[in-house]
This record gives sequence, structure tokens and C-alpha cells, in this order.
Amino acid sequence: MTEDPLDFGDPADLERLRTAFRAWLAEHPLPERLPDEPLPVFLHRWHRLLHSGGWVGLDVPEVYGGRGLTSLHQVAVSDELGARGAPGVPRVGYLAHALLEFASEDQRRRLLPRMLAGDDVWCQGFSEPGAGSDLAGMSTYAARHDDGHYTVRGQKLWTSYAQYSDRCLLLARTDRTARPHASVTAFALPLDRPGVTVRPLRAANGDDEFCELFLDDVRLEESERIGAEGDGWALAMTTVSYERNALDTGHLSKYGLLVERLRRTAHERRGELPDGLLSEIGRCVVDYEVLLAHARRRIAERLAGQPAGPESSVDKLLMTRAEQRLYATALKVFPQEVHGPGGDVFAQYLYSRAASVYGGTSQIQRNIIAQRVLRLTDGADR
Amino acid sequence: MESEEFALVRELLRSFTARHRIGSADEAGPAARSAAQQALDGLGLAELRRTAKPVATVQECALLAEEHGRHPLTTSFLGRTLLAPEAVRLLGEAGREIDGTPALALAPDLGFPRPDAAALVAWDCEGADSALCVDTEGTVRRAELGPPAPTADLLRTVRGARPGPVVGRLTAPALRHWQAYALVIVTSELVGAARELVALSVGYARERRQYGRPIGSFQAVRHLLADATVLVEACTSATRYAAWCLDHEPPGRALTAARVAKAEAGSSAVEAVYTGMQVFGGIAQTWEHVAHLYLRRVLVGATALAPPGELLPTLAEPEGATR
Repeated sequence: MTEDPLDFGDPADLERLRTAFRAWLAEHPLPERLPDEPLPVFLHRWHRLLHSGGWVGLDVPEVYGGRGLTSLHQVAVSDELGARGAPGVPRVGYLAHALLEFASEDQRRRLLPRMLAGDDVWCQGFSEPGAGSDLAGMSTYAARHDDGHYTVRGQKLWTSYAQYSDRCLLLARTDRTARPHASVTAFALPLDRPGVTVRPLRAANGDDEFCELFLDDVRLEESERIGAEGDGWALAMTTVSYERNALDTGHLSKYGLLVERLRRTAHERRGELPDGLLSEIGRCVVDYEVLLAHARRRIAERLAGQPAGPESSVDKLLMTRAEQRLYATALKVFPQEVHGPGGDVFAQYLYSRAASVYGGTSQIQRNIIAQRVLRLTDGADR
Repeated sequence: MESEEFALVRELLRSFTARHRIGSADEAGPAARSAAQQALDGLGLAELRRTAKPVATVQECALLAEEHGRHPLTTSFLGRTLLAPEAVRLLGEAGREIDGTPALALAPDLGFPRPDAAALVAWDCEGADSALCVDTEGTVRRAELGPPAPTADLLRTVRGARPGPVVGRLTAPALRHWQAYALVIVTSELVGAARELVALSVGYARERRQYGRPIGSFQAVRHLLADATVLVEACTSATRYAAWCLDHEPPGRALTAARVAKAEAGSSAVEAVYTGMQVFGGIAQTWEHVAHLYLRRVLVGATALAPPGELLPTLAEPEGATR
């Protein structure tokens, strides 16, 4: 695939979609975030508004509530929002892809339209206190009963915004004897079920995005299982593959705005900048443009029929490189962010330090590349 | 060109590279160089970009340059086959009077030559009897070849050159296109070289055993190779995209994309080759091993046309500002 010419261009109808979206945006101004309104509540209002115009789940088939277009169309919407400094598209794409691939037809018809519409807000219950990088080592256990239902017991960690969510894509072990990768099963857990307790954690930047999720003998029906028993690992890998793609999560437009801000500031303060800072800004431009080109290449490959695979670990490492260098450079350009109470840039800088941890640490990504892309013979780090 | 046609051209180039790639620095003697160049000239690939409506897209040429760059080859594929013919094409009517396949003349530090440059070098000029010089104002001159000018890149033939009579002038958009094209083609060779040396070192890490197991099973080595892979993919994406921009976007956008690609490869391709050499260990420090041929190639190539130290401040200028 990498050795044949690729089409980095936009499909012909993309400009029409952008025009239509711009016209819609002109008529539907961004809602104001209310004083004291928690960010996820505000984002949820935004999600519903976007969905009312048909701008969520563009790459999901129409029968499941989407528009039946391509990921490139969804990216174009993300671009347009980023260019206006608006919040990005709701981050449902990677969960929707997991359901599209693994859920039953009945589940897809039931769950996906509500997910896209924001009727159900979803979170992800993968990591555990004892299973971070070693995700397959999870101990949350779903015991199956004779009539087919399950009882789940365990604890999940880093479930983003669980306190504002309705459902959780939950991974649990369903077989204590089989090898870890073959014994993980996925469920769609309603968070109002008896036995579920959600407790937010305060992150280093002060946000309460991350939560702990306690599961004390929670009953799950067979119809709430996604895929077969043992499919959970493959589902998790699909999910994180899509999650790792910088474009799927709408990071790019955010970087683009900050890069342009750094360039303008450098231009205005020409001669006052410390030695070498101009080159560092140039390096951030390169990182950003490379990421843009790389994301376009991945989309072109996907449109040409190549599914998301272990190469997404390369994407994640490139995204991490761009993000961490960009915010570190931004602190040099705006030193008042450090020598003061710290503003938005500082908060985002702190968050950028998490880029090499969430969605699989940079070291795990390197293991995946060595094992599954380079096919190096097995070491101890599978 | 049609995809089948491109596949044929690439096969042609591949069988050429398989026959003429050298196994070590000692095989790069004058007789071998000249024979390899004659074989390459015989393929007729200099016609790919020479005609008013080019036979091959820039992306196709970039892929071919990458393919050539993967192997230790002494042939002038860049200078005489892909670069100078594009300058001839851009000259239009004025280019018709240029015979043969000249090489490209650059500043002695391999930068794009300034209009007042008195001394030039004919870069990548194996088998050439003349050169063309496109200066930073877009004036195209003939250049006379001088004596050999040895370079750290042992695979590359370089000779001194003196600027001669003016042949024609490129319009401002054509000049931007030219600079973007030259950057993309030179960068593609770096990408090919870095990709190949990393691939060779991955193969070596599978075979070479220490402490009773393949060194590729040690996490320290695996992570080195994973990082080198990320760097190679970053260069690849940026360079392919820049090549596509030359085929589809206005020259200004293409030039930015090409500068980005060159800046990325200028550091990443060198870093990836360092990693490959590190994985090979002691063997890659010998004269016989091909690793130093790759290192020399990417090291000099990283500075060619525009070194990262020059590109980064330029790229820090806001979109639409000067340059």
C-alpha cells in the first residue's frame, strides 16, 4: 500500500458538504457556556445541536442514524469547527466503530442512533487499578448464570466523564481459566443499574474528567453483551486503533489554531524572542503539517480499503510528539502562563503530558510496533 | 500514468537497481559507475518529466526516487533523470534547444544558487557533459563542468562548475514549483535510504543472537527500531503528500509542503540511519559494510537545497507572510 501512488485529495462532494455546514453554522451560533455549567454538560448541548443538523456520525450508515458518508466527511466537519475555535465533534466515532464491527444487528439499531443523537452518553470502561498497560490482566469478572444473565464484580479506572454518562462500554473477564486475550468480553452497561457507583477523580490540571467505576454484583443481561464471549480483546483493539488516530479524535484543528497563534506572536515580537525560539516554533509547524499529511495518508489508505490496524500506534506516537512539543513551546512563547496563576495554555500543557499515557503509553505503542508491525521475534513484553 | 504502466516502470527500475547496487564502498570505481550510468540512461526515464505534458506525475517520480534511494547506487537518477529534465520542461520553448541530459548545478554548499554565484557545483552529475543552473530569481543558465569535486557522499558524482549563458527564465509560480519539486525529489531519496537501512537493521535484529536470543527480542532494541519506524513513516507521509500537492495544489502550497517534508527528513532520516547503525553494532562501523554509505548519503542530503536550520525559521512565518 505504501508503495503505490495515493490520492490525498478530497472527494468531489466534500466542498459541497463544507459549504452546507458553514451555512448551517451561520444560522446556528455556538451556544454560550453558562456560568458554573460543567464542560461535559455544555458539550452535550453542543452535541445535540450538531446532531439536529445531521453533523454527527457522518461515516456511520444511515440505517444506524448516520449519514452513510466517509471518515473524510466527518473530518471536514471537524476541520470547519476547529477553524472557528468551536468545540470539536462529539467523541463518539471510536465507540460507534466498535459497535458497528462487533454488535448484533438488533444492538446496532437500538444503540447507535441514540449514541449519535446524544440520547445516551457513553463512556469507556477498559482500564483498572491493576490493569493499565497490561490491559489483558484485568480482574473485573462477569459470572454467567444458567439463564444467560451475568453478574459483574470489579473496579474500572480512567472512565472519562462517567458521572455524566448513561452507558459504559465495559470489558470484563468471562473465563478465569482461558488465556487473558481469549477471555475478555464486552458489554453495554447502563450506568443507572443497581450496584454501579461512580466516583470522579481530580486530575493534575484540576479537571474532573477521570472517574473510578465500582461494580458490585451488577446484573447484565445476555442481550447487553456485545459480540460473543472472548471477542472483547479484539473489540478493545479496534476501539483503541480508531481512538489513536489523531484525526478521529479531532485534535488536529486544535493544534492548528495554536500553531498559527505561535506564528503570529513570533511575527509581532520579532527581535524580542529568545535565541532559537523561532526555530522551535518552525519545528512545531513541521510537526503539525507532518501530522496533517500523515492523517490524510491514513484516510486515503482507509478509503482504499485498508482497515485500521497496529500501524495506528505510529499515529499515536506522532500525535504525542506534536502535542507535547507544541505545548512545551507555547509555554516559552507565553511565559506568563508559567510565571503566574496559569491560564488555558498551561492547563492544556498539563493535559499534553497525559498524551504519552492515555490510550496506551508510548512504551506500549513501541511494543506494538515492534511486535505487530516489524514482526520482531517475541520478547518478554507482549 | 496508468497504474499498470507505473508498475512496469518501477519493475524496470527495480531490476536495474538489483543489478547495479554495490555491496561495499570499494565497488564504486569509475568503470562500474560508468557502466551503471549507461544502463540507467538506456532505460529512457529522463523522458518522464521532460515533455510539456509530463508522462509521470510528481508523486510517481517521488516514488521512483525513493526506490533508487533505497540502494547503494552511484547513478545520477536525481540530477540527470528527474531534476534537470523538469527544469527543461518548465523553460518551455527556450528549453527546446537544450540537448542531451544535463546535470543540475547548485551552490557549492548545495543550496539553491543565488544569481551572483561565481562558483557552482554540478551535483549528481555522473555521465553528464553539461549542467543547468536555476538561480533563486528563476534565471536558468547553462553551466560548464569543471574538475571532480569529491564529497562525503561516496556514491555521488560531483564536479565543479562555472555559470554560462542564460537559456531562459522561469515565471514566479514556475520557480516555486521548481523549488518544491527539487525539494520533494531530493527528500524522496532520503526517505528511501532511511527506510531501507531501518528495514535491513530489523532483519539483522531477527538473526543476530546475543545472550542466547535474537537481539530483536530485547526491549531496548525493539524500542529503538519502533522509534526509527515512526520517523520513517513521518518522512514518508510528509514527502508523499508534498509530491501530491505538486500534482494538485497551487505552487505556494506545494512549496510549504515540500519545505515541511525536507525539514522532517533532514532530521528524521538521519536519526533513523543512526538507529539502524546502532542496531548493527560494530559491523556497521567498518568500511566494508554499506551502513556508512547510507549515513553519508542522508547526512549530505539533509543539507542539500535547504538545511533544517534554514527551513525552520522560514516555516515559522505566519501563513501568507513574506517568502
